[in-house]
Amino acid sequence: MSSAVEAPVLDPEAAVSVIDHVYAQGWSDGLPAVAATEKIVRRFLEETVRQPNEVVGRHPQLEREVTVRDVAVSAVMAGCLPEYLPVVLTAWDALSAERAARGGGWQSTSGPGALIVVNGPIREELGINSTGGALGPGFRANSTIPRAIGLTVRNGFGIRPRELEQTTVGTPGRWQMLLGENEEESPWEPLSVETGIAADQSAVSATLVRDFELVDNRSFTRAEDVLADLVDTIQRSGALIGPHSPSGIILNPEHARLFAGAGMSKQDVREWITSRAGRTEAELTAVGKGLSGRGDGPFAPDHFHPTIAGSTPAHLPIIVAGASNAAISLVFRVLGVWSGTSFPVR
Amino acid sequence: MTTAIIDPTAGLRDAAVSPPAEAARPDGFPGLRIGLLENTKHNADRILKALGEELAQRHDVGALVHRTKPVFAMPLPEDLVEELIRECDVVVIGIGDCGSCSASAVADGIALERVGIPTAVICTDAFVAPSQAMADLKGAPEYPFVLTAHPIANLSDTQIADRGRELAEQVEARLVLSDSLAGSRS
Repeated sequence: MSSAVEAPVLDPEAAVSVIDHVYAQGWSDGLPAVAATEKIVRRFLEETVRQPNEVVGRHPQLEREVTVRDVAVSAVMAGCLPEYLPVVLTAWDALSAERAARGGGWQSTSGPGALIVVNGPIREELGINSTGGALGPGFRANSTIPRAIGLTVRNGFGIRPRELEQTTVGTPGRWQMLLGENEEESPWEPLSVETGIAADQSAVSATLVRDFELVDNRSFTRAEDVLADLVDTIQRSGALIGPHSPSGIILNPEHARLFAGAGMSKQDVREWITSRAGRTEAELTAVGKGLSGRGDGPFAPDHFHPTIAGSTPAHLPIIVAGASNAAISLVFRVLGVWSGTSFPVR
Repeated sequence: MTTAIIDPTAGLRDAAVSPPAEAARPDGFPGLRIGLLENTKHNADRILKALGEELAQRHDVGALVHRTKPVFAMPLPEDLVEELIRECDVVVIGIGDCGSCSASAVADGIALERVGIPTAVICTDAFVAPSQAMADLKGAPEYPFVLTAHPIANLSDTQIADRGRELAEQVEARLVLSDSLAGSRS
């Protein structure tokens, strides 16, 4: 670890004044933020080969762009260490591939955050948690890298709550969603390798997420039971706002080993779920979400609507993470659809 | 000592000087081709249809041109802008009833005004803030948008027809010279 400054004395009272100043300017996301100076930002920029003026994020509707330097300022303010900057920048590469992020997702009433998944040796180098408590709190890289994304949305794009941003209630931990994949305890290839990245290459994947739900199935005896529990959770109607509810799974290593032990690849698991998760027209109508009034309708009451539109990694990303201390997985809901692409850290 | 702290929002104020965002208004509705650009939000198409029928009943309009904006949060595709320029004299845009699509509807309205097409943008009254924020951002803080009551997604058939009728007067006032409206309604 390398601090961005070498201070001869620590002055906590001056630090409070600086924090108050940052709040007063309207630059904070609600938590104390670090003030960026040219010297500190220069120290961060030493960690990347990219030019400070390179554009890494664009917002077509607002006609606004953010550069490497803008992102470095947000990384400083978020509390990142300088060496985190390449991961923050690569997260922007990944988010720039997300249609929802380019197309107004940051302003959405559903209030999505960026779920950021890190693969490869950089997890170890930066102390990115992929095991117990991977979604935090308590781990600096996991907490500050996604916060830097949120600060760029706020200060670089100018998308602030109740102005351009119209979040209805919000998503808990909106700017805190970063985890490493627990590659060491996974029986399968990592997410990044599924998308074509070499196994020893550090990579970042990201998508916009608006909800997490537990699948606590710790007393399992059969793979089919756990798969059915995942299906039951995925096909819930709550998150549905159209024919499909794009989803992903943060799969506990115990569940992953159960499935692998039953002879299933990750793709087998995906297809098992996507071929079964869904609701009939009658079931959707019973919760006021029938699809007969829309484009392809009307539908017979027993017509089956699959929850997930397809069976590629982009349709249902599966990330193995967390501790092997209780078999708890998470289903998350994607705003739009994941690009299906991972990006090498640079 | 605060001068050394970097302002992370400095880039937001670099906006260039913007041209005016108000096209010249035609002198009345007779013969006008009225574009009705719906943004795929639930019931937007039906409310604009009802509104178009009401305008056609009140005036001797030239045509009602129904078009769909395919991605509600994004800027209008260039080919659609060209089509609207070719086929419409004025354009009604709506309905902004979410964070991104309300702002985007206002951005589309301002963009069309700048190429000479009078517009009426309709947003629901829950989304005044992002609509106004976009008008400010586009350098047209005075750009007026027409408000209708939120929500629209759960209106009945009758309420949709009523809503279309209720919007007619405000939309008329946005699209043509006000003097031309006095006594012109058939």
